[in-house]
Amino acid sequence: MMQVARRFGGVAGMLAVIAFFAINLPETFLTPRNLLNISQQISMLTVVAATMTVVMVMGDFDLSVGSMASLSGVVAAILFTQDWSVPAAVGVALAVGLAGGLFNGIVVSVVGILPFVATLATLTVFSGLAFVVSDGRTIFGRDIPPGFGDFARGGPVIGMADERALVLPNLTLVAIAVVLVIWIVLEQTSYGRRLYAIGGNRDAARLAGIPVVPLRLSAFAFTGVGAALAGLMYASRVASANPTQGDGLMLTAIAAVFLGMTLTRDGQPKVLATLAGVAVLGVLDNGLTQMRVDSYVREVLVGAIILFAVGLSALGRRGAARRR
Amino acid sequence: MPQLDLETISRRFGAVTALDGVSLSLRPGEVHALMGENGAGKSTLIRVLAGLDRPDEGRIMLGGEEIPPGQPAAMREAGLRFIHQELHAVKGLSVAENMHLDHPYPRRAGLVNWGALNAAASEALARLGLETIDPRAPMTDLGPGDQMLVRIASTLIADGDRPAWLYVMDEPTAALTSGESERLFTVIGQLIGQGGGVLYVSHRMPEVLRLADRVTVLRDGRHVSTRPLSETGEARIIEEMTGRDLSALFPPRRSDATPGEVVLRVEQLSAGPLEEATFELRAGEVLGVAGIAGSGRGALLRALVGEQSRSDGTVTLDGRTLNGGPKQAWRGGMAYVPRERRSEGLMLRRAIFENVALPHLSGLARLRYFLDHRRQRRVARDLGGQVQLKAASITQACEELSGGNQQKVLFARALAGAPKVLLLDEPTRGVDIGARSELYRLIRELSDAGLAVVMASSDLPELLGLSDRIAIMRDGRLSEFVEAEGLTEAELLSRFYHLSKEEQAA
Repeated sequence: MMQVARRFGGVAGMLAVIAFFAINLPETFLTPRNLLNISQQISMLTVVAATMTVVMVMGDFDLSVGSMASLSGVVAAILFTQDWSVPAAVGVALAVGLAGGLFNGIVVSVVGILPFVATLATLTVFSGLAFVVSDGRTIFGRDIPPGFGDFARGGPVIGMADERALVLPNLTLVAIAVVLVIWIVLEQTSYGRRLYAIGGNRDAARLAGIPVVPLRLSAFAFTGVGAALAGLMYASRVASANPTQGDGLMLTAIAAVFLGMTLTRDGQPKVLATLAGVAVLGVLDNGLTQMRVDSYVREVLVGAIILFAVGLSALGRRGAARRR
Repeated sequence: MPQLDLETISRRFGAVTALDGVSLSLRPGEVHALMGENGAGKSTLIRVLAGLDRPDEGRIMLGGEEIPPGQPAAMREAGLRFIHQELHAVKGLSVAENMHLDHPYPRRAGLVNWGALNAAASEALARLGLETIDPRAPMTDLGPGDQMLVRIASTLIADGDRPAWLYVMDEPTAALTSGESERLFTVIGQLIGQGGGVLYVSHRMPEVLRLADRVTVLRDGRHVSTRPLSETGEARIIEEMTGRDLSALFPPRRSDATPGEVVLRVEQLSAGPLEEATFELRAGEVLGVAGIAGSGRGALLRALVGEQSRSDGTVTLDGRTLNGGPKQAWRGGMAYVPRERRSEGLMLRRAIFENVALPHLSGLARLRYFLDHRRQRRVARDLGGQVQLKAASITQACEELSGGNQQKVLFARALAGAPKVLLLDEPTRGVDIGARSELYRLIRELSDAGLAVVMASSDLPELLGLSDRIAIMRDGRLSEFVEAEGLTEAELLSRFYHLSKEEQAA
């Protein structure tokens, strides 16, 4: 019984949340336009959480993703002010993400500092760099090329509703692509399965000849690039960049992975489960906003729901362990 | 397959000679048992075979050709595979994936080919008669025994190397119940039948006597003897291992012992898998708890100490009812040595004296709240002497001790509170014969001094040699009590199953 509750409790909870908003917001919630809107709102979180899943599979964390997102946004924006082209500036910003991720990987895997400590330190470093690079300013307006800002506003038209075009946002497409890539990497390549092996039992993995150090190192590249990409998406969406705008992504992304873990059979992080976690948080945020719940109260509610879901799952797991 | 020869292998660590000119031949088609006390050099020999340690002298030859020493890949290439006592299941991965930890996954267009992966796994499992194990099931759904069998089966998966033929098994049954061990023995039979060879390292004499074709004994890093099993036996092996006659492995009970007062009264105790246990225990009595795996031996002890919360029944110790958790049980005069000493018993990185003092800190404190280190150390030193703990110092970390000495630390901890009832779960699991005999002598001394002991064990000689009475458990119930005196192993074993047949008939 507990087993069933644990397995499907999370899914039932998600459906309950959706049903709650659908009933309370009959006109606006379950409409194609709002769902597309939600998909765009959560696209940056999706990218960060999906790549975060890669390191959490190994039992590691990356706390620096939020400040990396801010950093990559201002790096691209500063390059725009120097009249760099959009592809070149985006390329450099992603390279910064890759370098930051690999640096995290080296510190955690080769040097052997706990991921919590190591990435807390790099969080501060990246955040400081973002301020240094931007001189603490917000870069906006004419400095941002129109092509960059238009990307987030555009997307293929997939239908009509109320005589207005329904647009599948480009940012949503990017997020879907990232999830697809991460899913293939984690579930369908031996690289990903080796990461799961490291997370399941590091000693066993090492004894079986799995190169634990390089694999752990390389996995942090995903979070670095993912964070940088999310930072660019954010900057594109608001057509501006400031040195703190990505900071909020980190905790929510980790929360989304944890929420997702409550849905999997053995409590492992899985990218599709993470996507479900992100969706729950996105739906909650969207629904509560529409119901005009105060944003501070919203934070209290979201935090409480995360605690409740993860706590319930922990209790269920303990029950299962006791019966063994 | 040609045979593998170790020729006059020596290995020194500083001033310590771990191996001194040891020669050994390992042939296909036979189980070669390697026996010796802790420190005899078994572990070093295994590390040399695994290529993890490079010998200072000597050669390893495969069919007349020398294998480069100190290279794990070369030993693997030569067909050696190692089955360790510690289980290394990777949680979150399926059985088939666990079997491919040290093999490349089958791939198609760069992606994992799950069909081929599962097929390779089930083919390897089938070769050992393990068709009942589903390769797609999560590894952690399997018991420790099946996990080990899966490990063995994984060595049968073909890869680029020369095929595996020589299996080095280091205490393979240490974590297994007797039923699981039986399956392992069947699999060993299969491996031998398919032309494999096994180097079997174990402290468990009955297993060696049953499985081995030849037995090699090491002592103090030297090769003592290699004999066919037909030319040796338990007494001789023990004598060669220890250099002394251990005919009295189990010291006799003091002849003038009289049954003491009832100290422990258990009535209708139900907790978890345990159902309606009722018995009395007298001071100075040793009650063995026997039964097949899963019959509830460990559950009985966990219920007594209050770790498993009770659904019904009473436990009365010395006239006082215990109805709380482990804390109350320890305080009331019960002491518990758990089965998993590494995960449930010891703080491995902490010093011996801290481990001993842990449950007794309030009794050893100054002004109730302040730790009295000197007193902790004194208590630990005294008790360490009583249990014949062999350690450099009581400040040594427990992880540096051998299994037998770790167990003695737990005994010392149990005795520090001057208990009236001692609960032991598999007290000599993974403990070498020398330390084992010391533990047996200790248990005997304690019971002669009036301590009541409840000892759950899967080791039949131990149950018969130490117990006054043996409680046989089945399906969580205490099915019967028998006097240990005059009972044989076969009779005891038959009682494990006896009742179930009768009940089936009824």
